[in-house]
This record gives sequence, C-alpha cells and structure tokens, in this order.
Amino acid sequence: MNFVQDLSFVHMIQNASVLVQLVMGLLLLVSLMSWWYIFLKMFAVRLAVRQSEEFEELFWSQSDLNRLYQNSNVSSGETGSMARIFAAGFAEFAKLKKRPGMDNSAVMGGVRRAMRATYQREMDNLESHLSFLATVGSVSPYVGLLGTVWGIMNAFRGLANVGQATLAHVAPGIAEALVATAMGLFAAIPAVVAYNRYAYDITRLSSRFESFMEEFSNVLQRQP
Amino acid sequence: MSTLAYSYSEPYKLPAGVLALVVHGALFALLYFGVNWHNDQQQGMVVDIWDSLPAMRAEPAKVELPPPIQQAEPPKPVEPLKQAELAEPPKADIELAVKKKPKVKLPEPKPAVEVKKPPAQLKPAVAKISEADRVLQAAQAEQDRARAAQAAATEKIVDEYVSRIEAKIKRMVVEPPDVLESMQAEFDVILIPDGSVLSTRLTKPSGNAAYDEAVARAIVKAQLLPLPPDTSLFNRFRELHLTIRPKKKE
Repeated sequence: MNFVQDLSFVHMIQNASVLVQLVMGLLLLVSLMSWWYIFLKMFAVRLAVRQSEEFEELFWSQSDLNRLYQNSNVSSGETGSMARIFAAGFAEFAKLKKRPGMDNSAVMGGVRRAMRATYQREMDNLESHLSFLATVGSVSPYVGLLGTVWGIMNAFRGLANVGQATLAHVAPGIAEALVATAMGLFAAIPAVVAYNRYAYDITRLSSRFESFMEEFSNVLQRQP
Repeated sequence: MSTLAYSYSEPYKLPAGVLALVVHGALFALLYFGVNWHNDQQQGMVVDIWDSLPAMRAEPAKVELPPPIQQAEPPKPVEPLKQAELAEPPKADIELAVKKKPKVKLPEPKPAVEVKKPPAQLKPAVAKISEADRVLQAAQAEQDRARAAQAAATEKIVDEYVSRIEAKIKRMVVEPPDVLESMQAEFDVILIPDGSVLSTRLTKPSGNAAYDEAVARAIVKAQLLPLPPDTSLFNRFRELHLTIRPKKKE
C-alpha cells in the first residue's frame, strides 16, 4: 500500500464532500461580497472625508451664505454630505424667513429639524453595508467551522470501514475539512478589520457633521 | 426639500468590484502556487560504506556513459603502439648498425662473386622485416599488458559490485534463529540491466531450508541491485553466482 497523497489546494477542494463544498462556495461568495463592500466603503468614506474638508474650508472662507447655497445646491450630487446638510438647513431657513410672524426660535427649530433629517439620511448612507461586514466578520468563522465539523465527521465515518485504522486514512479528510475553516477565517478577518476601521471613520465624520450643524445654527441665528 | 430628494448610490462600484476580484485572484494564486502539501512517502535511506569506490561511480547518467567509453577504448591499444614505435626506432638503428657491420665485411673478402650481391641487398630487407616484426611484437606485448591491466581493473570492479550486491542482499535477510555462521547458500541470479532480478535459483542449499528461503526473499527485496555504471560490464552480471553467508554474530 502506497499512500502518496497530493494535497494541493484545488485537489483538496475537489475531494471534499458536497456539504463542505457548499459551505466553501458560500464562503467564497460572502468573501467576494465583503471585499467588494470593503473597497466600496473605503472609496465612499475617503470621498466623504475629502468633500467635508473641502466644504468646511469653503464655508468658513465665504461670508455670503446665499452664494454658497447656490454653489452647493447646483452641484448637490458632488459636494458631499456636509454640503447637503448645509443646503437643507439653509433652504428651510430661507423658506421660514419669508413667512410672516415666525419668531426666531421657531425658525431655528425648523432649521435644526431639517438639518437633522438630512444628517440622519447621510449617516444612513455612509453606514450602509457596514452591518454586512459585521455579520460576515462574526458569522463566517462559524459557517466554516460547520463545514469542517461535517468534513471531519465524514472522515471518521470512512475510518469505520477500514479494519486497520491509520492516520493516513483520516488525515486527508481532515485536511480537506479544515480548508473550510480557513476560508471562513479568510472571509472574516478582513471584514472585522474593515468594519472596525470604517465604523471609527464614520463616527468621526458624524461628530464632525454634528459640530458643523451646531456652528451653522449659530451662524443662521446671527443672520438678520 | 424636493431639491434634496435623491437616490443614494455608492460611488466607485465598478472599481471596488474589480479590486475585490483582484484580491481573491491574488489569494487563490498564492494558495495554488505557494501551498502544495506534498506527501511523498519517504523511503528509508540506505547508506553503503565502502573503502574504495570505482571512479566511474561519480558519473550520474548511466545511459549516456557507454558510447564514450567504447569510443575511448579503441585508442588505448593504439597508444601503446605509438609509444612502442617511438621507443623502437633507436633500437632498430642500433641493430641495423650491428647488422651492417657483417654486411660491410662481407663484400670485401669476396668482391669477385657478383651473384652474391643480391643476397647482400636482400639482407637489409630481411633485417627490416624482422625489425618490423619486433616492433609489432613489442606493440603486441604492450597491448597485452594494457589489456591485462584493464581486465584486472574490470575484475576489480566486478568483484566489488558482486560483493556489494551480496552485502545488500545480506542486509535484507531476515535470519531464522538457528543459523550457523558456517552456512552458506549459493544462488544463481539472472539480472536485467536496471538491476532488478529476473529469476533466482538455489544452486547449493545451506542446509537450513528456512535460511535458504529467507535469502531468496532477500534477493527479491534487495532489488534494484547495485550495478556498475559502465553498462558494458553488464554481461558479467547477467547471470550472477552469489554466495550468501549469515551475518557475523557478536
């Protein structure tokens, strides 16, 4: 008897049982999607940070809010979240100012609510898919583990039919099964890292937005 | 608020997708090329210790060896010949001079006889023939000597390999308990050029059937048997007579 096993990576996947292969396929899909979202979020967060910086610079350098509103409103798609919050607040302010008999605190309340609504929407957009990354990070190791446990069960069941059990009978099966765990971890680790990283970035952005909202409210309150 | 109504779509969808694919491609390539768990069954290493090794052993390619050696062999007899020729001429000259002396003396006493002149002319020719003979003989002797030396060298190699084969077989023998050191089993073994055993025949039993059987099994187990790399020597190994003795007991 000659146990010359060629345990190449592809070979191991090919030899695995159906359920293990299914688990591997699922993990591959999940991994692909999580990497896609990782890159999407990377670009989105970077863009949001850059646009916020640009808009803050513009906001503090420009004294004429009307001109700024025209600017930010015309290209509302490309100026970023902070510009949209500003536009929502300023539009509400302009509308309420035109109404007769509105006292200042009522105007400011309306402006705040408008800005808050836009802010919520922006945060929602920025945080979209982050929950997917969190889920992948926490669940895919378990999915991989399921595949591994199943594969090892099969390996041991095969051992029952052999009279003289040696490690050579079980080892390839276990190795194949462990590929599932490896894939689960491959999917999970980047997802967890990315989730933590983006959650931190987005929290910073949100605090930045909030402080901008406060500052902008003050500026509007000073408006005649 | 209507100005702010928009449907959100993430920027850079396509580049992100391409990058995700690239990451997976890279990962897969890394695993495919970088990770290859080979499970080659390690064969037990056998180490022979010999106090003298034939020089030819160093050459690894067995198949390519024979032609150069066969080509190299013919010149060898020629070389001694050349040496003989180089060495002979002075001798021949001296001999010629010695032979000429009587020849010079001969014509003086009998100048009148004209008939005898041809023999005088013949004599150098005869001398020349005998001289050529001698050269040839010397060359022959040289050749014989070279051949003998070569034969001795071949014999040495053959002996060495035969004892090597015997040692390898001896190592493989699982000796039954009641074996005496004085026993010896003789086998006729037919080999094929790669060193595997075609057939074995017990020619002289050791007196212990169990031992004979163990040796016969060991011969099969010991293949491929070590053969000299010079395949022209294989004819000496085709039918081999082996004498296997039990291992020395401490």
